[in-house]
Amino acid sequence: MLSLSFVPALASAEPSLAEWAQRRVETVIVKPLAERVTSRFSRSRPPPRERRVRITEAALTRDKQGRDFVPFAVDVRFGGDWQENDITGCVYRASGTLFVKSGDAYFPAALLFGKNVEPVVGVCQAAPARS
Amino acid sequence: MGESRNRTHPGWRWRSWSGRVFLVLMLAGSLLITVMSLEYFDFDSLPPFVIEKLPLRFQNLWLGALRVHVAAAALGFPLCLALMTRALQRRPRLHRWLGRICGVVLLFALVPSGAVLSFEAKGGRVVTAGFLLSAAIISLAMLAGVGAARRRDLIAHARAMRHVVAQMSVAVVSRALIVGLDAIGVDPAVAYVAALWGPVLFSATVVELISARPKLRAHHRTEQIERIDREIFPRSLVVRALAVVRPRARVR
Repeated sequence: MLSLSFVPALASAEPSLAEWAQRRVETVIVKPLAERVTSRFSRSRPPPRERRVRITEAALTRDKQGRDFVPFAVDVRFGGDWQENDITGCVYRASGTLFVKSGDAYFPAALLFGKNVEPVVGVCQAAPARS
Repeated sequence: MGESRNRTHPGWRWRSWSGRVFLVLMLAGSLLITVMSLEYFDFDSLPPFVIEKLPLRFQNLWLGALRVHVAAAALGFPLCLALMTRALQRRPRLHRWLGRICGVVLLFALVPSGAVLSFEAKGGRVVTAGFLLSAAIISLAMLAGVGAARRRDLIAHARAMRHVVAQMSVAVVSRALIVGLDAIGVDPAVAYVAALWGPVLFSATVVELISARPKLRAHHRTEQIERIDREIFPRSLVVRALAVVRPRARVR
């Protein structure tokens, strides 16, 4: 009985898919954005007081090329309420690569840090369901 | 005599110092904005201000307009501030030439590029309208000021140029307000609107109040014209030089 009660604890030692994706987004996007020094005396948006990561689908989604990804969203809070979907994108399970949405296209997450990157076609989009 | 009477006026010292403080603060703000804007000329990366705006409908046009606007403001605003100083107003030829350069930079670079940028301004159409109003005031005041200078109507020239400088000062005041409103937790969407429309309307009102004063007091207007006459025309230099070479005794 006692040994059985430890089973969930042992299982939680390995993070769930949602936890893994959340940590990945925090490491690659949220922390670097928070640490980035931006000029205060500009018309740029002031950095938000807080950012939070939401995994919008707990299960893996497969894209047209058969690669699995997890979609996510980053919400921000300036002073009042949370503003949802400030950043949206997806993280790929196998490679850990992150993409973010800008307009109708998806770009490597490096776009958020000023890199001139081209949009990547077909990523973060679920393959049509087989009938 | 008129000048000495002006200087003994109780408000003279306050106005003189407030004018100097304004010029120094605006110059410091202009330099700070220029330094902060240098990153826009790094062609290999995108600054945060640009990333926030993505995707842009006409990205190359917008980026080009941004660079032209920053360069024009970096040159035009300090030049406008310098032209407001008595030191340059006492040198009419230099004042005239620098004024022409300033006019060309503002009318053909700063205002058109600003108009392009305004359509992607944060805060939506209300903020776009605010930027376009400010641009219209600058353009119309500059044209009116040039016309007044050509007619030698120096009072009207001064009034028009105060409007130009006041609207350019919005760039500094607006940024300071955005920082202040962020510090007290105001949402950026609200802050952008308040920090633009407030300074645009306030600056125009202050200039009208300052410029309306000579109209209310006819003798001050005459004094001002006489003072400007004395200070800027070559005859005054001759009179001053003669006064040094051959000073006349004064009746006390």
